[in-house]
Amino acid sequence: MSVRASVLAQFERVAQEQKKTLAPLTDDLVLLESGLDSLCLAIIVAQLEDALGVDPFSAAEDAEFPVTLGDFIELYEHAAP
Amino acid sequence: MRNVLVTGGSRGLGLGIARRLTAAGYRVIAVARKESPQLTSAMEEAEGAHPGSLRFVACDLAEIDDLPALVTTVRKDVGPIYGLVNNAAVGFDGVLALMPTSQIAQLVRVNTLAPIVLTKYVVRAMLADGGGRIVNVASIVGFTGYRGLSVYGATKASLLGFTRSLAREVGGMGVTVNAVAPGFLDTEMTQGLDGAQREQIARRSALRRLPDIDDVASTVEFLLGDQAKSITGTVLTVDAGSTA
Ligand SMILES: NC(=O)c1ccc[n+]([C@@H]2O[C@H](COP(=O)([O-])OP(=O)(O)OC[C@H]3O[C@@H](n4cnc5c(N)ncnc54)[C@H](OP(=O)(O)O)[C@@H]3O)[C@@H](O)[C@H]2O)c1
Repeated sequence: MSVRASVLAQFERVAQEQKKTLAPLTDDLVLLESGLDSLCLAIIVAQLEDALGVDPFSAAEDAEFPVTLGDFIELYEHAAP
Repeated sequence: MRNVLVTGGSRGLGLGIARRLTAAGYRVIAVARKESPQLTSAMEEAEGAHPGSLRFVACDLAEIDDLPALVTTVRKDVGPIYGLVNNAAVGFDGVLALMPTSQIAQLVRVNTLAPIVLTKYVVRAMLADGGGRIVNVASIVGFTGYRGLSVYGATKASLLGFTRSLAREVGGMGVTVNAVAPGFLDTEMTQGLDGAQREQIARRSALRRLPDIDDVASTVEFLLGDQAKSITGTVLTVDAGSTA
């Protein structure tokens, strides 16, 4: 599965588990308007770490949390496992 | 087997907690800088009763950048972490006016920053796993005053504030967060107290004695257990009535 597909799959899964209505997953979707709250995003980061073996947010230099879904996916695509 | 990470599990209270939890059927991962002889013998004992139930992982918690990898490694080795007991701490005392600033920074790093950052990585996985238990070991010095313990007291009070707000943040996802505030215990941390000081603390407490390690360890066990499922964001004081 591509990184993009893994990220999208986690969004779908967490939305379902947490019973949230997810906005259409386009690259310019603002994460905080996706229907998921910040705790759901934390769960997605934890699950992606298990799935992809990377956590771009625990790198030594402080990464800003991305604003849009496209930025979020790109961050994972550029984080080498 | 439910996995519980106990920081500072090599000696003193942390070792008491580790022993108690393994006896209760948990698998304990004890974290400290070095494996102590007491921990080695506790691991041998535990091996007889419940094989694999007490493990040691070496880590200097002051090395904040190593904490994400600590959590990843533990989860890889044993699976989901059910409980986290933030117990490791240093107890340097001294009047503030003369305390080296490096020592102040070390107290805050080990007693406040390390447990907060460690919790960040553990709680994230707990949220994804659908629940968990966090117990922060504070101290009565977090809400009463003792000369020579202003910085230590500040770090312990910080854990109380951390406990309350985090409990609100993660409660909806099935994670409870509580603190235990022990009174003075006989451990290496309190070896600086002389017999007279110890007697004075005991004499002034409601029960005329000091609590022992197992009194505190059983409170931690309670907060991790199913009976405590409706308790979160609170502090249980175990001090034989010192602050009553
Ligand atoms: N003793 C008391 O009277 C009393 C009263 C109230 C609250 N408390 C609290 O109870 C907890 C345990 O205290 P204690 O009396 O059992 O202390 P202790 O006997 O001094 O043991 C401290 C434990 O923490 C570990 N530790 C210290 N610095 C560490 C570091 N940088 N990285 C990893 N591990 C570290 C030590 O192992 P290594 O040295 O091998 O790293 C040891 O396992 C503390 O949170 C303390 O504030 C104690």
